[in-house]
Amino acid sequence: MHQPSSKLNTAQSLLLAMTVLGASSAALADIKVGITVPSTGFAAADGKSALDGAKLAVAQANAKGGIKGEKIELVVYDDQASPKEAVPAATKLVEKDKVVAAIGGSYSGSTRASASVFQAAQVPYAVAYAIHPDITKTGDYMFRVSAMGEVQGRGGAKLVNDLGKKNVALITIKNDFGQSLATGFKEGAAKFGLNIIGEHEYSLQDRQFGALVANVKSQNPEVIYASGYFYTAGPLVNQLRAAGVTATIIGQEGYDSDKFMEIAGPASEGVLVTTSLDRDSANPATKTFLADYKAAYNTGADMVAASTYTAAQVVIDGLNKTGGKGGAALRDAMAAGTYDSPIGKLSFNDLHEVKKDIQVQIVKDKAFRRHSIISDAVLLAPPSKSSK
Amino acid sequence: MFFLELIAQSLVQGSIYALIALGLTLVYGLLRILHVAHASLFTLGAYVGVLTHNATGSLALTLLAAMLVAGLSGVAMFRLAYKPLLKQPPHVALIASIGLFIAAEECFRIAFGASGLSFINTPLQGQVKFAGLQFKQAEIAVMLGAALILGVLAWLQSHTRVGIACQATVSDPQMAESFSIKLNTVRDLNFLVGSALAGFAGVWVAILNNLVEPTMGSVPSYKALAIIVLGGMGSVPGTLMAALVLGLVESFGTVYLGKVLDRNAIAFAFLIVVLMVRPQGLFAKK
Repeated sequence: MHQPSSKLNTAQSLLLAMTVLGASSAALADIKVGITVPSTGFAAADGKSALDGAKLAVAQANAKGGIKGEKIELVVYDDQASPKEAVPAATKLVEKDKVVAAIGGSYSGSTRASASVFQAAQVPYAVAYAIHPDITKTGDYMFRVSAMGEVQGRGGAKLVNDLGKKNVALITIKNDFGQSLATGFKEGAAKFGLNIIGEHEYSLQDRQFGALVANVKSQNPEVIYASGYFYTAGPLVNQLRAAGVTATIIGQEGYDSDKFMEIAGPASEGVLVTTSLDRDSANPATKTFLADYKAAYNTGADMVAASTYTAAQVVIDGLNKTGGKGGAALRDAMAAGTYDSPIGKLSFNDLHEVKKDIQVQIVKDKAFRRHSIISDAVLLAPPSKSSK
Repeated sequence: MFFLELIAQSLVQGSIYALIALGLTLVYGLLRILHVAHASLFTLGAYVGVLTHNATGSLALTLLAAMLVAGLSGVAMFRLAYKPLLKQPPHVALIASIGLFIAAEECFRIAFGASGLSFINTPLQGQVKFAGLQFKQAEIAVMLGAALILGVLAWLQSHTRVGIACQATVSDPQMAESFSIKLNTVRDLNFLVGSALAGFAGVWVAILNNLVEPTMGSVPSYKALAIIVLGGMGSVPGTLMAALVLGLVESFGTVYLGKVLDRNAIAFAFLIVVLMVRPQGLFAKK
């Protein structure tokens, strides 16, 4: 009785030891890069795009031989786009997985929360599409590849002015994203002498806008500057048009998904969107990305996928320079780099924000096409250390 | 004009609330269970609706399929989840219900994807204009549909044996049973009808928004609870009135209080105020 049981124990512990060794040797060989995305919850659709974008960048890098022959392993945690989920996810990436860098594939609220965890651990964090100003102010390990909300908002006001319109109704989604866009838009509106004839707000959960639409209609604006995501903006635009509102509608990168046209239907035609992905770009990096993404996932890439791909690209590029080392070396390498990305040529300023043009896309025949490009170095200047 | 438009929008919203809340109130009246997972049947109805319509293009078939699937799933929920818990205190069933609701959301996400579904050809998108107001056909349809269905139900309840048996079971289950009313049949029937109505509402919301998402039930889940509390817990006419009143309060609140309070916050602020003045609800007798 005694004999076999001890044999079994030996066998078991051997097996266990082998598993542990196997696992840890694999861990030693791979370079771990973390990513936080909302895989579940209300933002799960964007979470999927973000993860697909990052996975594509990592797969391409690994196919080219990884970092000095070592594969990059993407460690994924779901933050549900919620600050209270984001902090444990970031902590796990830092403490348990010991990632050398992380990619922020989530919304502003959760990204702000995880930013401080990565900053404290000195893990470079490349944020894809969260636009709240506080993120890069967290510290010098933070990077952002998208234009901040205020900057996009100012761009929106310039677009209204470029269209030759004056009277604007503002419809704002009540979260970090909407608030920072509205702040920027109002700054721009003051500069261009636009009249904001109505300000309306709605919450992330709203899909039925009956009262709000009736109110906007009664104000009879020339332009509606409405912030939101495709899943709120789709129903909103549809309902605005159904109620007979014909004003030009301007949205932002939250609209930037083919799902927007699917949801809003014919009402989406002519809607303008300020974003970072130009579908008609002549830039080879953008064209290759759009084609590769389509080939990999059999669906068109959106702004979230392109931005998260870019964030991953920034991290991978940095790792290539440091030979896989993290910490201050990686931070400095990332900060010094220039990047030819699907969302244009990027470089970081001293606050690790990017300076770039805003792409204006228009919905034509159920697809985003190029409308114009807003380029104004002064108006669209990202904040820097001195301005913070 | 603006005023009329707001009232019309309140009616659209109120009709949807009424359809969702009615099932909840039936269940509460009968079993004293706060059936949070009811809203997942609303979502289920919406998914079945979009899938059926995209496959067949028939609105009648869409409504039928959604009501049938939601109704039968409601009965299954009762038999599998609530029935074994009937002897437990009510909060046990409530916890089960919340669990069911969360699980259902995730199941929808896994089965149909995170980004939601839309109609290929959304039905009833045409414009109807009268008295200077402009509606989507679907908005008119949901108001008429809700009025018709709720009217028929009210008539059935007071004029047929089954309806009277339901009422008897609500007021005194033991007495009803001793009059040879089959309790379980009545309970099944209640879940069938209430859940089918939720499915019906789901299809209409899907048509109005042209979007069905895994999480679309989350607001209705607690909004419907607020409505049955307002309506006086388990009272059917009270629930209908409360649904319409809440539609009005939300519409006007969004316009005049929107800067200060969220639409959902307005609904609950209203609930709190009502409960301070009338703890038994707006329309209950005592």
